[in-house]
Amino acid sequence: MEIMAKTAFTFYCLIICMGSIMAVTSKSLVRALVGLIAVMIAVAGMYLLLAAPFIAFMQILIYVGGVSVLIFFAIMLSKASAEGDEAGPVSLKKAVNAFVCLLAPAVIFSIIIIRHPEAARDAAINVSPALLGEGMLGPYLLPFELISVVLFAAMAGAVLAAWRKRGQK
Amino acid sequence: MTDLTLFQLVGVFLFCVGIFGLVRRKTLMGMLIALELMINGAGLSIVAVAQLTEGDAVLGQLAALFVMGLAAAEATLMLAIILVVVKRFRHSKTDGIFQMEG
Repeated sequence: MEIMAKTAFTFYCLIICMGSIMAVTSKSLVRALVGLIAVMIAVAGMYLLLAAPFIAFMQILIYVGGVSVLIFFAIMLSKASAEGDEAGPVSLKKAVNAFVCLLAPAVIFSIIIIRHPEAARDAAINVSPALLGEGMLGPYLLPFELISVVLFAAMAGAVLAAWRKRGQK
Repeated sequence: MTDLTLFQLVGVFLFCVGIFGLVRRKTLMGMLIALELMINGAGLSIVAVAQLTEGDAVLGQLAALFVMGLAAAEATLMLAIILVVVKRFRHSKTDGIFQMEG
């Protein structure tokens, strides 16, 4: 089983590498979104490897089912053409800035993670969804309620912002 | 290298590629896609730490769920903002957006 887990981990790593590079470098925004969806599904697989199936299903439901559709609406409604806004060369200053922003956290975080490994347990523990539900309604009730308020405010604000502009015309 | 280190390195990779895209992209939608990459990396790191160390696993998984909820709220707001910007400027290139007055 150890070999199976390592194979699956390598497979998900490959999907994450290719998908994320596709998501940030592709000229077409729809292709970039496809790369992002591949990364999301591979991260859900990583959650399954970590023995957190509930989080994996939520990842697929919320990200692949919800957020990616929202991003697709944003691409569609802004009438971005396939060779439109993202085509053309990136200015040298921007490319250099982007590489510095890539390298600085990569070097710092990698050194910290590799030099100071946390005391890890051998196998991931399995938490049942019932325990998660008890946590949500017990000690973490306030964040649970707050996030519903935040979601409601975000939805209402989004409708208000998009609708008032249309009414003015 | 322990399993935890490997999972965290994957999370760091996602975060760094996301920040690379965030700086390099020219439109708001490209920046939104890169931002979702960064949030995914953060969530993976949180769950890895919760499942593979002695910390509270329930707290870690709930934190990942809350991150997902916040990401959904943020994507909704970004959709509305992009709509307003496109209606006002006829494009969504970040270099050409200066005015913020409603």
